[in-house]
Amino acid sequence: MIRTPLFLAALAGGALCAQAVPARPESIRFKPLAFAAPRTAAFKVRLDNGITAYLAGDPNGTPLVKLQVLIRGGAYMDPKGREGLAKLTGMLMRDGGTLDTPAQALDERLEFLAGNINASLGDTWGRVDMAFLEKDFKEGLDLFMQVLSRPAFDPDRLAQAKQEQLQGLMARCDETGEIARIEFPRLLHGEDHFSSACMTGASLEAITREDLAAFHARILHPGNLVVSVSGRFGREAMVAMLNKTLGALSPGGSATVSPGVPGPAREARPGIYVVDKDVPQAHVEFSLPGLRRTDPDWYAALVLNQVLGGSGFTSRLMRKIRSDEGLTYGIGTSLGEGAHWKGRLGGSLQTKNRSVAYALRLILAEMERLRNDPLEAEELTVIKDSIVQAFPSRWGRKADVISTFAREQLTGWPEDWWADYRERIQAVSAQEVLRAARKYLVPSRLVILVVGNAGEMQAGDAADHPGLLKDAAPLPVVNLPKRDPISLKPLS
Amino acid sequence: MRHARCGAVLSGLLTLAPLCAQELPITERTLPNGMRVLMVERHEEPTIACGWVARVGSADERPGITGIAHLFEHLMFKGTRTIGTRDAARDAELNAKQDGTMAGIRQELDLLREKQRRGDIADSGDPGARSVHHRQLLERLDSLVLEQRGIIVKDELDRIYKQAGATGLNANTTTDRTFFHITVPSNKLELWAWLEADRIQNAVFREFYSERDVVLEERRLRVEATPTGKLQETFNAMIWQASPYSWPVIGWPSDISAVTRDQAEAFYATYYAPNNLTVVLVGDFRTTEAYATVERYFCGIPANPKAPPRVTTLEPSQGAEQRILGNVDAMPMAVCAHKIPSSVHMDSAALDVLAGILNGQSGRLTRELVMARRIAVGVEAANQPMKLGGIFYLSGMPAPGHAPEEVEAALLQEVERIQREGVTEREIQKAKNQAQVSRFALMEGNETLRDQLAEAEGAGSYQDFLLESTRMNAVTREDVQRVARTYFVPENRNTLVIHRKEGK
Repeated sequence: MIRTPLFLAALAGGALCAQAVPARPESIRFKPLAFAAPRTAAFKVRLDNGITAYLAGDPNGTPLVKLQVLIRGGAYMDPKGREGLAKLTGMLMRDGGTLDTPAQALDERLEFLAGNINASLGDTWGRVDMAFLEKDFKEGLDLFMQVLSRPAFDPDRLAQAKQEQLQGLMARCDETGEIARIEFPRLLHGEDHFSSACMTGASLEAITREDLAAFHARILHPGNLVVSVSGRFGREAMVAMLNKTLGALSPGGSATVSPGVPGPAREARPGIYVVDKDVPQAHVEFSLPGLRRTDPDWYAALVLNQVLGGSGFTSRLMRKIRSDEGLTYGIGTSLGEGAHWKGRLGGSLQTKNRSVAYALRLILAEMERLRNDPLEAEELTVIKDSIVQAFPSRWGRKADVISTFAREQLTGWPEDWWADYRERIQAVSAQEVLRAARKYLVPSRLVILVVGNAGEMQAGDAADHPGLLKDAAPLPVVNLPKRDPISLKPLS
Repeated sequence: MRHARCGAVLSGLLTLAPLCAQELPITERTLPNGMRVLMVERHEEPTIACGWVARVGSADERPGITGIAHLFEHLMFKGTRTIGTRDAARDAELNAKQDGTMAGIRQELDLLREKQRRGDIADSGDPGARSVHHRQLLERLDSLVLEQRGIIVKDELDRIYKQAGATGLNANTTTDRTFFHITVPSNKLELWAWLEADRIQNAVFREFYSERDVVLEERRLRVEATPTGKLQETFNAMIWQASPYSWPVIGWPSDISAVTRDQAEAFYATYYAPNNLTVVLVGDFRTTEAYATVERYFCGIPANPKAPPRVTTLEPSQGAEQRILGNVDAMPMAVCAHKIPSSVHMDSAALDVLAGILNGQSGRLTRELVMARRIAVGVEAANQPMKLGGIFYLSGMPAPGHAPEEVEAALLQEVERIQREGVTEREIQKAKNQAQVSRFALMEGNETLRDQLAEAEGAGSYQDFLLESTRMNAVTREDVQRVARTYFVPENRNTLVIHRKEGK
């Protein structure tokens, strides 16, 4: 360690710091960085019962081992009137103990070992994962297999979880963002689509321990599982251990391969939808029909999204609405990959109520500009380079690489789709982006949801940027009812 | 230069102490201008997590300029004499003209505030209350901003980094430190050094006035539009009597709207000198090469010959127990806050162990309040020490049909039991095991390790991070009982009770 007293530093400064630096960063020359897209083959193993596993062992790493099982299945399989069943099943697999280890003993043992086992089931897929110290891995794996395949769904724990959920339901209309999360899927996919279905007080009440056990028995099928393991271990020993446990799972009597995830039955109805909530800042969501990642337009659409709002401060919406106008803390867009049906191009921002109409006009103007004018070469290059150069970072550590592979396998994306990704991005031309803009940035297809003080939002900013909300876009304005937070039934 | 090693304490058959021998090869150096440099070389992925921390936060502010540390963090993204403009000379002229116009606007705002003080108008921020002259000045400011926009290269810092494949450019401000960070591909360290050294010494605060509006929107997002945001601010202001922790990091809205460029410049000159900064690099580099690059770019930045002033106000002891009641659109809740000493204080580790014993599915709070008595659906103990002192929170959400006051009493009973009866050896060991494993997890990723080291430097030294597990492993049952008795006393207590607003 060198510590130079400050007075000496002042004397020495000139001599030590005489090195010149370039006048601008563009003149710095960088060594090339070779990075090959990771390939599944380097990590993939097939277990005895057909389950795919991805292994990334690092014998010299931190003394932890992490294992994750992804499960195909989720809320889309909830029966009508039992909304929330998948979610509770996931929670209780871990929290409700196992047939061999009661809930309280399981909590105590896991926390003493400082091991973690978590289970959750989401809309279309779920996950059971564990992290243990290398020295405790065997015991951890045994407990993990109990949680995965022999959960007890302790009735006391279920009652407790239901109470907690009920308390949560009471609070779900308190924040604008949460209201948007309830309303937006209904607008995009229709009220009958599973993505709009929400747990209610009644559905929570109706769910029984037997429902949980039946749901679990149904999804526990080797055909629904994908495994990944990372951390400090040797490959052969791990494969042997996996084959004795996960690889030895056989489907029970009621287990089935989960059905495909159903898409929405109808197109979204464009409009400006308003929910009244008396807060000083409104939450705004907007969405347009998009495409799937396997569509030939994908790469051009992706570049388009990065230009519009997918690339932070380097995107046009952030530049215009935050940097120029100071109207928001953040605005961004994302292009959905379309795991099960065509994705959407969507975005959101928060701004004070009276600025909503003006911000929407600015968003539409940016879309219009992209429809009219081809990108300048420089902007196109910046965006394409940013995607290509950040390619190594998007993969992260080996543990992250196999997580990506496991997710993609579960969803059913083509294997090694990423191999020519950078070349495909670099090949996108300004003309292709223009074509994509004309195809996807269609104002008359916009679904806009605004949650905030309705009166202030509708009046707009009369002093600084006059214009009513109804004139912000060529779309009908529809007022949505407030809802009872527990039943979600409209309040009159 | 030296390698710091984790001190291995081999005690007790159940401890994880042998794992502590897992060493973290940190190289520490100090440039002649006083800037500290920490480097951790590792090659698992071809990126480098880079950052630098300034030992300045909202605690270094005073009434009138609250929020300036955070506003300043935003302004550091607006460019320099080189980055962000096509014409530096004209840019400086336009900034000066804007400041002149703004001075006139401030006079108008003074008049409006005076009218509000006398009750002639309700809100000095209401556009309808502006005079003709005021409106003309605003129009002039707008036209100057528009003219400047013509020569601004928008968000050029972000653009240069993005094009180079860097990710996660961001910064954040706390009460005690401001942290600027990014992850770059391993061949781009020199680009990072160029851009960061440039903004540490040549920052130009363009778009100053529209950025204040961005911060006001951020305030709405985080505070005013959330059900409990304002309540939390009120609670915090009640807890801290003299300490500068009493105002929010984001500042009071009237201060944010009034802050001037001169104030920002003075702040910059005082606190953004290399002798108040630490650089942290974690990732795929050769240490000697990385240090040479850092030295080359940062060495020439002059130190502040007067070391930045340190906060001298000490929080006095409370005269009495305090409590507030909030009726808002939110889940009912009880929060008991007890003041505790600094994060680097010797009692910090024992308080961490105490939090560990109270927390978790098998911890005392959940076992008793959630599982046995069923009066709460969620409970938590949070030990949150900061540089100048901190708060230990006990909080709980009542189960349907129970009142938050019931939960409050039960939370305190659990601590009283520890004060009376102490804790078991097994509980202590469990808390220590968990802390050890979460440390491993934090050390795994380049970015999380970088953040930990920067955090430690912001409050003291990275040594505090390295010594954490040693200090933790040394905690005894007596220590835990002693800290419970010392800090969890009524005259050190502040309570917030939240009821759901009637009729909602």
